[in-house]
Parts: sequence; C-alpha cells; structure tokens
Amino acid sequence: MDTKINLSEEDMPKRWYNVMADLPSPLDPPLHPATGKPVTPDDLKPIFPMGLIQQEMSPDRFIDIPAEVRDILLLWRPSPLYRAQRLEKALKTPAKIYYKWEGVSPPGSHKPNTAVPQVYYNMKEGIERIATETGAGQWGSALAFATMLFEMQATIYMVRSSYSQKPYRKSMMNVWGAECIPSPSTKTNSGRAILEKYPDTPGSLGIAISEAVEDAATHPDTNYSLGSVLNHVCLHQTVIGLECREQLASVDDYPDLVIGCVGGGSNFAGISFPFAGDKMTGKHPDVDLIAVEPASCPTLTKGMFTYDFGDVAGLTPLLKMFTLGHDFIPPAMHAGGLRYHGDSPIVSRLVNDKVMRAVAYHQNEVFEAAQTFARSEGIIVAPETSHAVKAVIDEALKCRKTGEGKTILFNCSGHGNFDMSAYDAYYSGQMVDFEYPDALIKESLARLPKLG
Amino acid sequence: MHTIGFLVNPIAGMGGAVGLKGTDGQVMEATRRGAVPKAGDRAREALVLLRVAPVHFLTCSGPMGENTLRESGITRYRVVYESPDVTSAKDTRNACRAFRDEGVELILFCGGDGTARDIYDVVTDTVPMLGIPAGVKMYSSVFAVNPEAAAGILLTYAESPVLHIRDAEVMDIDEDEYRRGNLRSSLAGYAKSPYLPGLVQGAKRVFEEQDDELAKEAIGRFMAEVMRGTPDTLYIIGPGSTTRAIADQLAVEKTVLGFDAFLDGKLVATDLNEKDMLALLAEGKRARLVISIIGAQGSVLGRGTQQVSPHVIRKIGIENIIVVATPHKLSETPVLFLDTGDRDLDGAFGSHLSVISGYHVAQRKRLGGPVTE
Repeated sequence: MDTKINLSEEDMPKRWYNVMADLPSPLDPPLHPATGKPVTPDDLKPIFPMGLIQQEMSPDRFIDIPAEVRDILLLWRPSPLYRAQRLEKALKTPAKIYYKWEGVSPPGSHKPNTAVPQVYYNMKEGIERIATETGAGQWGSALAFATMLFEMQATIYMVRSSYSQKPYRKSMMNVWGAECIPSPSTKTNSGRAILEKYPDTPGSLGIAISEAVEDAATHPDTNYSLGSVLNHVCLHQTVIGLECREQLASVDDYPDLVIGCVGGGSNFAGISFPFAGDKMTGKHPDVDLIAVEPASCPTLTKGMFTYDFGDVAGLTPLLKMFTLGHDFIPPAMHAGGLRYHGDSPIVSRLVNDKVMRAVAYHQNEVFEAAQTFARSEGIIVAPETSHAVKAVIDEALKCRKTGEGKTILFNCSGHGNFDMSAYDAYYSGQMVDFEYPDALIKESLARLPKLG
Repeated sequence: MHTIGFLVNPIAGMGGAVGLKGTDGQVMEATRRGAVPKAGDRAREALVLLRVAPVHFLTCSGPMGENTLRESGITRYRVVYESPDVTSAKDTRNACRAFRDEGVELILFCGGDGTARDIYDVVTDTVPMLGIPAGVKMYSSVFAVNPEAAAGILLTYAESPVLHIRDAEVMDIDEDEYRRGNLRSSLAGYAKSPYLPGLVQGAKRVFEEQDDELAKEAIGRFMAEVMRGTPDTLYIIGPGSTTRAIADQLAVEKTVLGFDAFLDGKLVATDLNEKDMLALLAEGKRARLVISIIGAQGSVLGRGTQQVSPHVIRKIGIENIIVVATPHKLSETPVLFLDTGDRDLDGAFGSHLSVISGYHVAQRKRLGGPVTE
C-alpha cells in the first residue's frame, strides 16, 4: 500500500460540482437586508462580478473551470491523498484513515482553490482591487497570492486578535503585495462604530466582513471577496472532494466517514459535497458526513437555523443558515478561522436535513489530537484543522472498540507553521477552554423584542 | 517618587516548616522544634529587585522591615513604627495605622493569611495591599505568586502612574481548627490589590487581557439579562465584587460579603444564613444560586460560604448553580474545587465546571480535590 495516492495533472477536475443541483428542493434564497425580498443579481453587482453571481445562483450540476484558472491550480493540484498508516498504528485502530493534504498550496491551505477563480472573474470584469477579511490569515494570504498572480491590488482586514497573534501571516500578505489592516480599524464607518463601543475588542470575522464590504461598496474600482460561506466559494472547493473520490477509487475504496472542520464551511464543503451528492442521489446512502466545530463557537450544534446577516453591521444579505446571532463575538480562541457566528447556507441546510451532522470540541482536546497527529504523521496542522483531526481520532478509537475497519477520510486543510504561539499556549497549560452557555443565552434573549 | 509601606511578619511561615500548620500563638513551640525565621529572606528576594526603583519606603524597625531593607541595599526608607523584640498581630495593626496616617499609596508586606487579615482589619479597602508569600497558608488573594512577581508588579507601578487594582478576597482561617485537620475559613472581606495582567499567567500570553472591571461589567450584563428572562425565579447571589456587578446592572444595592435573594430583578432579602435560605426555598419557587470563586485556591463552595450548606445545595439543585468569575481570576486558579463537607455532593458536580466569564461566554474549568496544605 502506497503512503501517497497521487493523480496526474491531466486528472485534475475540469469542472466544479454544484451540490445545489442534487438538493431535494431549492435552497432558501438570500434576502435583501432593506426590503426583505430575495436578492437579484443586480443587488449583488456593487460588490461581486457577474461571473461569480451566476455561479452563486446556478442550478447546473457541473460548472467548467476556466483554463486560466486550471493553469494556476496546477501549481499545487492535484493535491496528494495520504494513507495515515502511522496514525492508524499509533491508535491501534482497524480503521483506514486517509487525509487530503491541502497544505501543499503556496499559502499553505485550501483557500487558494477559491481565491484564484474569484480574483480571475473580477479581473475579467475590469476590477482593479479586492477588499476582503481574514480570520487566522489563511484566507488573506491566499487572496494576496491570487491578486498578485493577476496583477491586482488587495486590501485585507485581519481580525485584530489574529493580527497580533500571527504576524507572519501578515508578512506573507505583504510579500505578495497586499495591504493588511487590523480590524476593527478606523478606515471604515463600521470599524469606527465598533471601536467606539468596544475599544478593547479582539475583533471578529463578522466585524472584518462589515469593513471589507463597506470598503468595496464605497469604491467603484473595488469588489469584495469572501473566503467561505457563499455558494460559489463552496463550489470552487469541490475540487478537493472530486479528487479524493478519484484517488480512493484508484485503490478500490470509498469513505464510510468524511470529516472536516467548519468555520464558514468551505473546506468541509469542498471535501464533502461530492459525497453528499452521492448520498442524496442514493449511490452511497450511508456515508457519514461530519462537520467539526469549536465548542466556543458552536454554530451548527447550538445555533438556530434561521435568516441572519453574514456580518456584524448588517450590511450583507440575510442568509438562511445556522447562526449564533450576527452580533455574537466569539471568544478569542486560537482557531481564528472558525470564529464565525454563521455558516454556509448549503452546509446549514444539509445539517438541518440530516444529510450531514455536526460535533463540537474544546481547544485543549483538539491540540492534544494535533500533537498525536504531528507525532505520528509529522505534519503540524493549523488549529482549525486540529478540530477535524480530533474527530478522526475519536472515530478511529470507536472502531478499535467495535473492531470495524471503517474508511475515514478527512480534509487536512492547512499547516500550522505560523501557529506556534497557539501550540506554546497549549504546552504552557494556559489554553482556555471557552464554552457557549447556550441555555442561559436563550433565557437572556427571551425578553428581547422579536424581530421580523 | 512613590511612597510605599513595607512590613515583614518575621515569624510568618515558621510553624509550617515544623508541621504546625500556622504560627499564631505557636512561636515558642516552633522555635523549640527547630524553626528559624525565614520571612525576612523571602522579602529580600523581592526587595533586591527594587533597589533602584523610584520608591520611598516607610517601615518598621528591626526584623519587621528595616533589617530587610538594609540587607537588600535599599537606603530610601524611614522608620515610622518602632517594633518590640517579640512581635505580634498587634504590631502589624499598629504599623498599618502609622502607614495609613502617613498616606502611603500601597502596603507591601511579607507574611501569610494571618498577616493579610491583620492589615485588612486596619486599612480595609482604603489602601491597596500586596503580599510577598511567606506564610503557612495563603488562601487569600492578595499574594503575588512569588517574590519576583511581587517586585515585577511594583516595578511596573513605579514606572507608570497606572496601577491595575482588583478586588482580592481576604480569608479568615481558624488556626486551632486547622491544626485539628479542619479547614474552617470565612471571607473577611475584599481588599484592593495591585496586579499585572498576565504576570500570573506564565510565559506565554497570546491575547490582550480585558480589564477586570470591564469583565465584571460584561458578566453582570449577561446575568442581569438572564434574570430578566427568567421571571418568577428566586436568585440567591453570593458575595464578591463580580456578583455585585450583577446587582449593579439591575440597579439594586447588594451586600458585598453576604448572600442576598432576588426575585424579578428586585432585592427581597439580604445577608441570608442557612435557615433563611431554607425558608425562602420552602416557598417552592424555582431557585438558582449565583456564586463566584472565593480565595486564591479556587474554592467554589464550602470555603467562606458555609451558609450554603449541602442541604441548601440539594434543595436548589446542582443544575441551578451558576458560577461566575473574571478571566483574570480564572487564569489564577487553574483548578477549581468544592468542599461542601459532603463528599457525595461534591462528586455529583462531575469533573468539570462551566464558569460564566463574560458576555455570552463561559470557560470550562477542571474540578479537583480541595487543597488542604
């Protein structure tokens, strides 16, 4: 058995898979924040290029990947699929564990899979600058990389707690020519409003999104770009799952479980949507799809499935999704990329429909899992990815108890080489296990006026 | 130049070295068993680091302060209290009166829980205090983690006019009972104590720490919303400034050291003892207990909260107990414990406790066995 299962460059997917085509009923539409009516392509035009708006609303099962985009993706794709034989041995499990290693991209995560096509469609429509937000810095560095390739400018609002915690991510963005600003900033109205109210805020993705959207909406040469959540982002990431399916087929295997961490949902969408399609169309009805999230920001496990804003300021369309409330500022934990109050509307819908399920873990236990992974497979994963690793280990240990030789596939979405301060905090015993006191929060909201 | 009162309780810690669990009234016995005074040495570890700090010390003569300052190479001091050859709690209190009358900004002392209590008796919360730990028991929260940390706090203060002050519990421990193996502690009060955000946290501090007062306000706001959202529920709220922040949000006066009862946002009874609580609970309303962490060792129930007997806790129900504490307090207490006197009840809380630490945020803390030494 080979350790790495590789595809040839020729075998890299030529089309993205759009899971919306296989949903039993259409997704609830995004609503205009002012009118409450479903948004039209024209509503989204001030901040997105038409090429992406069409993908966002497309009912087509497959969408071609433009040749220029494929050429760039080939810098690191197809990414290798590893059989984690050393981890299996360490866990003494009969389970077969495979991981898709997305850390081979230049920015070190799955994020450029969508950064490149997003920047491409903006470039095609004459946009000169992209504004975006970043949590842990993975998305920001991926977008900086992509804008550099297409000779465009990028302004990246980085969540303040990550900005000071991960200075090297900011350095990467600078190397690729992007401007990186800690959020909340004094550059935008929404940033100034938050700073006035909470001068010591660690920031959040929701705040940074407000800033980037405002920047794009107020500059005609600038568009906005989102690294997760939206349908077209999840679509671009499906290259991950499509490759996995081919790679596993080449060794006559198919997963019993597919696992990924979830912040906004795109890396999990990327690995799981092709398998969710197989499940919904009856080809593999039993495949178990597991979204893993932090206990401190448990959107899928403790949130409500309802319409909410994607950002703190309420500038984005209302999306039907699992949410903890758009004004919820998650505690400053180390997996910055998972600090988001909402979730991809498609992932939310699939969890709500029980096509997928979600689990939540605390910080210390996921770092313990990441350590086990590093000491068996060698890779030091990002704090976000360590959530997926924890779920994989738990499932593999269940197999040890039951004796089942299940096939477990997970998305090893990025390396943690810039996250050593988080590992240091874990080793110093100072890592805090934050929780979301959902029962008390529900009680505290009981007397608030109902909106909508 | 800052003016700081400095005193050493020369006998602090002597009893512990020879198994006496405290030194009150036991100096002769401790000496007979071979104990030697060591508080002066502990204090010197801090003072040598303050040699060049812009601080003028007011102190006591001989082993109660002056000797240590001199041995540490500090010359900027003035003796304001002449101490006798054999010192006692009375001398600590007299010295603090002199410090207070001289208008010191802060009292730096070296001793144990007993010393802290004596200082608190005189200055209460009017003068901040900081302990260099040297005693047998240190259940109070006014101590720095070690002499170097105490010096670090003072150096930072010396260089900037801003002193981070927090409320710190001063505990009263019955030493006679303690020697018999029973830890009977009560909360004497809340002193003001300086701290450096992060100093007690170890080498790595990744996130900026919120100011303690802001954290209390956030906890108070959240809990007040919970109370408004649960009408017809009796809330018994324990002592401390974190729990007082809840009452502040409800615009209600609360006693600092007592357990008070609230219903529909209104104060219905103050300073409850066990009997009062049981009488209120007998009315049959759904009830909740809101408490904070007491003392430096992470006690949640049992120490300083004897009113909340096992009977009361069972009546309220474990699921109706809400623990609140600021992130700073939680960072100082890695493990929490319960010591209600009923082992089965303590065990029923499980291995972890969720502690409300901010607005819509909790921290999961490990529950360990009580620290008795």
